[in-house]
Amino acid sequence: MSELDYAPLPVADTHISDENEKYHTFVNLALILAAITGVELVLVYLPFNELFIFTVLLSLSLFKFVAVLAWFMHLIYDKLLMTLAFGTGLSIASGTVIALMFIMDRSHVDFDAITAF
Amino acid sequence: MSDTATAHTEDSHHSLMVNNKKLLMWLFLGSDCMFFGTLISTHLIYRKLYPEAYDPTHLFSLELTSFSTFILLMSSFLMALAVSAMHKGQIKSFRRNVIGVIFFGLIFLGCQVYEFTEFVHEGLTLSTATFGSTFYVMTGTHGVHVAIGVFWLTCMYFYSYTGKMDAHNSAVDVEVAGLYWHFVDIVWIIIFTAVYLIEFIGK
Repeated sequence: MSELDYAPLPVADTHISDENEKYHTFVNLALILAAITGVELVLVYLPFNELFIFTVLLSLSLFKFVAVLAWFMHLIYDKLLMTLAFGTGLSIASGTVIALMFIMDRSHVDFDAITAF
Repeated sequence: MSDTATAHTEDSHHSLMVNNKKLLMWLFLGSDCMFFGTLISTHLIYRKLYPEAYDPTHLFSLELTSFSTFILLMSSFLMALAVSAMHKGQIKSFRRNVIGVIFFGLIFLGCQVYEFTEFVHEGLTLSTATFGSTFYVMTGTHGVHVAIGVFWLTCMYFYSYTGKMDAHNSAVDVEVAGLYWHFVDIVWIIIFTAVYLIEFIGK
């Protein structure tokens, strides 16, 4: 056997094979995201409990959000620093939204003191 | 240093061991999260405090908006393929996928323009209750982001014909553009649920 038989794949070839594997991941993910969008559209018309529908919609949206972030945006393939860089802004934004939704409750707002819209 | 080791040390030339362009884009997207977070939370708060101020269910066409969402998701898929093609140095495949992203982006913008036009005809303007203000500012800002992305990708598409784009020089640039486009998509995922779908729960 010559040494060439045991030579590792050149870097370019392994890189290309990685990209080819990702292609199938992308196709599957695109199909899943499209299906979830269809489910969301149908779900709002179903006569289920409102809280149940809201929870399911929120969960499906979060899944779509994380899926695009992780696979299409390559976050799981990249270094942790990228996740921290984006996650910091995302955490601040999410925390602000949640905090405001709790603070701005009808029971905490003095409607007599402000002009009605 | 061998070629194998050299090829893997692309990021080692940067002090944080990551590509600076990608890191900067992720930081920018983190800040853009905060930007859209304020717009979305403003809309949700006013809908929560004054749900009787305006009922948009007679205006919203969930079918059209779902179609727009589907189009944007598929454009994200094509963008991922375009990035992958550039990493492999396949310029023609890159061009095919990018033109698809641009086309889908333009379809999305067209749907938004049509939707806004219909809403204005029905009486929902920027000054129609707080709902009009928050809705148009939020979705309009997102639309501007999409338009910027379409312009960016169009420039990149024509630049690919100069012969200066290849896997070594341009893969990171294409990936950065891809990050921006995917971010625009995930913001729309949130807006679609929080602004459109939620209005129809219980109706």
